[in-house]
Amino acid sequence: MKQKLKTSVIGSYPIYLDPLELMQHYFSGNEPKWERYIEQAVHDMTTAGINFVSDGQTRDPFIQLFTRHLRGCRVRQRTEIVGPIRYDHPITISDQVYVKGLLPPKVGLIGVLTGPYTLMKSSVNSFYGDEKQLCFDFAAAVHNEAELLQKHVDFISIDEPFFSNELPEYAQELIGAITTGLSCPTRLHVCGDVSRIIPQLVDMPVDILSHEFKASPFLFGLFEQYSCSKKMCIGAVRSDDVTVEPVDEIVMHVQKAFDIFGENVIQIAPDCGQRMLPRDIAFQKLQHLVLAGGRMNG
Amino acid sequence: MFSFTQEQKIFDIQGISFGGQPGMYPTVLFAGLFFKGEPDFDTAKKHLQTISELSKQTGTPVIPDVFIRKAEYIPSILSFLENELSKKQPFSVDIIDPLIKIEVLCQLAEKKLLARTIYNSIHIGITQQERDALRQHTPAMVIVVAFNPKDTSPDGKIEVLENGAHLIETGLFHVIRDIGVEKILVDTAALAPGENSGAAIAAIPVIKEEYGLPTGCAIHNVVEKSRWLSGFNQAKKTVDAASNISIPLFGGDFAIFGPIENAEIVVPLIAWQDILVSEYTENYFGVNPISSHPRRILLQ
Repeated sequence: MKQKLKTSVIGSYPIYLDPLELMQHYFSGNEPKWERYIEQAVHDMTTAGINFVSDGQTRDPFIQLFTRHLRGCRVRQRTEIVGPIRYDHPITISDQVYVKGLLPPKVGLIGVLTGPYTLMKSSVNSFYGDEKQLCFDFAAAVHNEAELLQKHVDFISIDEPFFSNELPEYAQELIGAITTGLSCPTRLHVCGDVSRIIPQLVDMPVDILSHEFKASPFLFGLFEQYSCSKKMCIGAVRSDDVTVEPVDEIVMHVQKAFDIFGENVIQIAPDCGQRMLPRDIAFQKLQHLVLAGGRMNG
Repeated sequence: MFSFTQEQKIFDIQGISFGGQPGMYPTVLFAGLFFKGEPDFDTAKKHLQTISELSKQTGTPVIPDVFIRKAEYIPSILSFLENELSKKQPFSVDIIDPLIKIEVLCQLAEKKLLARTIYNSIHIGITQQERDALRQHTPAMVIVVAFNPKDTSPDGKIEVLENGAHLIETGLFHVIRDIGVEKILVDTAALAPGENSGAAIAAIPVIKEEYGLPTGCAIHNVVEKSRWLSGFNQAKKTVDAASNISIPLFGGDFAIFGPIENAEIVVPLIAWQDILVSEYTENYFGVNPISSHPRRILLQ
């Protein structure tokens, strides 16, 4: 039986932070409350009708979200590596548990993790003599988080945008260091132009591949040249453009994906995290994505 | 005891100096006036007299940190400051509400008091209107509160100063430079007990070494918020006052010590600590205390 196409997000979602309110918590000696920001993101995603939502990654950009909590990292202007990377405590788990409690029935939750290569490339390394070792220490930390995360989410998505710039020869081993032993499905999201690394991507040890097909529609033709048995998450609305794509346009785009990947297309999503978009635009894009998904499912 | 490799900036306001290497200048104290909200001017006069005498006796500079909690208090409080403080006495205005801050800046400008004003404070909650008002009516000195709700460690405080920790568009230093203030005091943002409150003290040498700016905090806030200490009523006041010695001990330049009523305990306490620091830093690092330092005044 044909699997129904699901709508999904990649990770981040734009929300309005109120720094004055955060300061007022400080002046009154109370711990700053973050729940309402998570609620804003989840509210928009669920109201739009998205099937698989995230926590919106509201606390931090996707690098600091993890490095701020790992031993061996310090976050000043950027993340600096000042010692051996060690996983010290759960990072995203309490937020995921909170989000789970907010979700209507049948709405799934994605556990979004930043990939080790991207963490390494986004940090200033003042400690490791060997980049590969740093990557694998990050991978071990991300794996520890994933092991805990899988109990609370429907699937885990690993975000590795730096793979599109430069794919290390140990990329598959690195992703495997995260996904080996996990019992929940996994997705690898690599945005940007992945045309040079498709042969490696199709062999990655994950269940689902996710790429920005909307901004880079030429990827369809390139993927067609390779045998890809992976399930696919198709980027179907842009994350770097405020123009809200009409539903018809999204439907045509997704149809093209079906023509190439067939029933392996199981998810449609924005091309990337939506953090950089105005909130109303991000929301409309999700609404249109959901309408397009509905049309595709008949 | 500390000596910093980074050159330490010294900022003066009306003859009171902040900063430098530990042991050079006395710790500057900020004494909270109208701490409870509604101003009581008769009592305030007595307290101002007390801090003036304590300062003369010890050499420890004390600056009134004037709380203004309601807009209706602004005219009377500013008239009080204009008429009751000596013409060279600096003061800080300690205000949370951005609208009250803006109104106070306007009225300070009208009264030509900005040259004596320390603005307490600039932080991530600064509004665009407040920035505009600060550009138009620029105080002589500002306190920047390095509170980072994402990261209470010393690194997190540096992050919010440098890039705003992605909570505001730029770092707080950029905000202040944009306003046009050069004399900056860094408040390391003491938090409630159990929320990494020790980081406010640990951040003092880190920030001084990184930027060379005068640095301190309101560490007594930690004591005030402590629940377990409330079971030790007699000790609580002592701990509240004593907490301030951590600031000069860790190389800090100023302490915002809470209600002015505590001045009689805190001022001699800090003078004592400054003497201790000075004795060591002069012997070990060759830092000479200035002539008005408590060590020069009290140990003649």
